[in-house]
Amino acid sequence: MIDARKVAVTAVTAGICLPLALFAIILIPIPGLPAASGFWIPAGFYFPLTLWFGIWGALGGHIATFLAMGYFQGYTLHVWLDGAIGDLIAPLCALLIFKLMDARPDLQRKKDRIAWLIAVPVASLVCGLWVHTVNLLFGVITPPFWWVGVVTYFIGDSLAVFIVGTPLLRTLTSFVKQSPMYIWRE
Amino acid sequence: MDKLKTKTFLTYLDSSNPLLLLHPCVKVLALIIFNVVAWIIEAPIPLLAYFVALASLYPVLRVPFRSLAKALPYLLLVAQAVTVSYILGSKIPGSVVYFELPWGSFVSDRTLMYMVTVMLRISCMILGSTLVFLSLRDVDLVYGLMGLGFPFTAAFTIALSMRFSILFIEDYARISEAMLLKGARLDAGNVIERARSVLLTGVPLMVLALKRMQELSYVLELKGFPPKGKRTYIYEFVWKQEDVVAAILLAVLLATSALLRILGLFGFPGWPFV
Repeated sequence: MIDARKVAVTAVTAGICLPLALFAIILIPIPGLPAASGFWIPAGFYFPLTLWFGIWGALGGHIATFLAMGYFQGYTLHVWLDGAIGDLIAPLCALLIFKLMDARPDLQRKKDRIAWLIAVPVASLVCGLWVHTVNLLFGVITPPFWWVGVVTYFIGDSLAVFIVGTPLLRTLTSFVKQSPMYIWRE
Repeated sequence: MDKLKTKTFLTYLDSSNPLLLLHPCVKVLALIIFNVVAWIIEAPIPLLAYFVALASLYPVLRVPFRSLAKALPYLLLVAQAVTVSYILGSKIPGSVVYFELPWGSFVSDRTLMYMVTVMLRISCMILGSTLVFLSLRDVDLVYGLMGLGFPFTAAFTIALSMRFSILFIEDYARISEAMLLKGARLDAGNVIERARSVLLTGVPLMVLALKRMQELSYVLELKGFPPKGKRTYIYEFVWKQEDVVAAILLAVLLATSALLRILGLFGFPGWPFV
C-alpha cells in the first residue's frame, strides 16, 4: 500500500537527485559516453537514502535518472532500460548486501563498515555492466567503449558513493533514526 | 504593456502561446513520441528532415528561438561524446578507410555517416524534449500522465519530483553562497578535491531534504493522501478541436515512421546495431 510517507521519500529523493544528475553530467562528462559522468554525484545521495528508507529511496533515484538522462538521450525504452533501471538496481543491490550481512547504515560496527566496503563496489559493478551492455545493444556506444564505460562507471559511481555517501551515513544516520520512515528497527 | 506570462519548467511563455494551451495529454504524448520517432528512424536523410521539422516548429508555435540556446550546451556535450566514441572505437567497414588506430579501430566513410546519424538522432531528441518542456507546467505533468492511464499516485510523485528538484537547485545555490562566505573554495583543486567539496554542500543539502521529506509526509497525510474513492480535481481540461488534431498528427507521425522503417525506407543498410 502506497502511503504519504513512501511518496514523500520517493519524491524528495528524486527531487534532490535530479539536479545533481544534471550537474554530474555537465561538470564531469566522459568523452565517448553520452549522458555519463565520471563522478555520479546523485549515487552519493540515493545510496544512503535507500539504506535508510528502503526501496522507495531507490525508486526516487530511478525517477531522477530517467528524467535527467532522458533529456540527453530521449524519453525512450532505451533510457528507461539503461540508466534508470541501472540506478534502481545499484542501491537495491547495496541494500540486499546489508540485509544479508545483517549490517546497519550507521557504519558504527566493523561488520557495517565491511558491508559498506563490499556493497558499494559490487553494486556499482553490477550496475555498470547492465548500463553499458544496454547502451551497446542500442548503438549509443561502440564495442571498445563498453569496457571504458564499465570501468568508468564502476570508478565514478564507487568514488561518488564513498566520498559523498560515507560521511552522510556516518553523520546523519542517528538523525534519520528518529524518522518513522527509517526501515531498520532493533 | 508586457503580455501576461506563464511559468513553465524551463521558461516563461506568453499565456496565449498555442503550445501552452494544448491539452496536457497531448504535451506528454508529444514528449514521448518526439523521442520514440527519433529512435525509429535510422537513415540519416530522414533524420535530418525530422531535425529540420522539429526546429521549424519553434517559430511556427511562437516559441522564441533563443530558448534553443538552453539546449546548445547539451547538444555539444552529446556531440563530443559520440564523436570520441566513433573516432576512437569503431570498426565499421566502408568504401574508403581514412585512418587506422594502433588498437585496431579505424575510421571509414561509413563511420562518419553513422557518427553523424547518431548525433542527429540524439539532437532530435533534445530539440523535441526542449520544445515540450518549454511549455510544460507541473499541473500538465500530473493531468497528462493521468490522462494516459498512469495512477494518480505515480503522476503526483513525478510532478513532486520535478517541483522539488527546482527547490533543491535554489537550496544548493543558497548553501554554496553560505559556504563561499565562510571561505570555502568549491571550484578549486583537481577533480577529487572538487568532488570532496561537494561534500561541504552535501550534508546541509541532505539535512534540508530530510526535513522536507518529514514535512511533506505530514502535509500529504493532513490532505488525506492517498485519496480514497472518487476524487475531484481543481482543473478541468477539455479536449478542443486543435488538441484532437495535434494528437492525431502525433499518432500519424509515429505510425508512419514505424511503417516506413518496416518497409526499409527509414532503415540504414548495414546499421551495425540492433
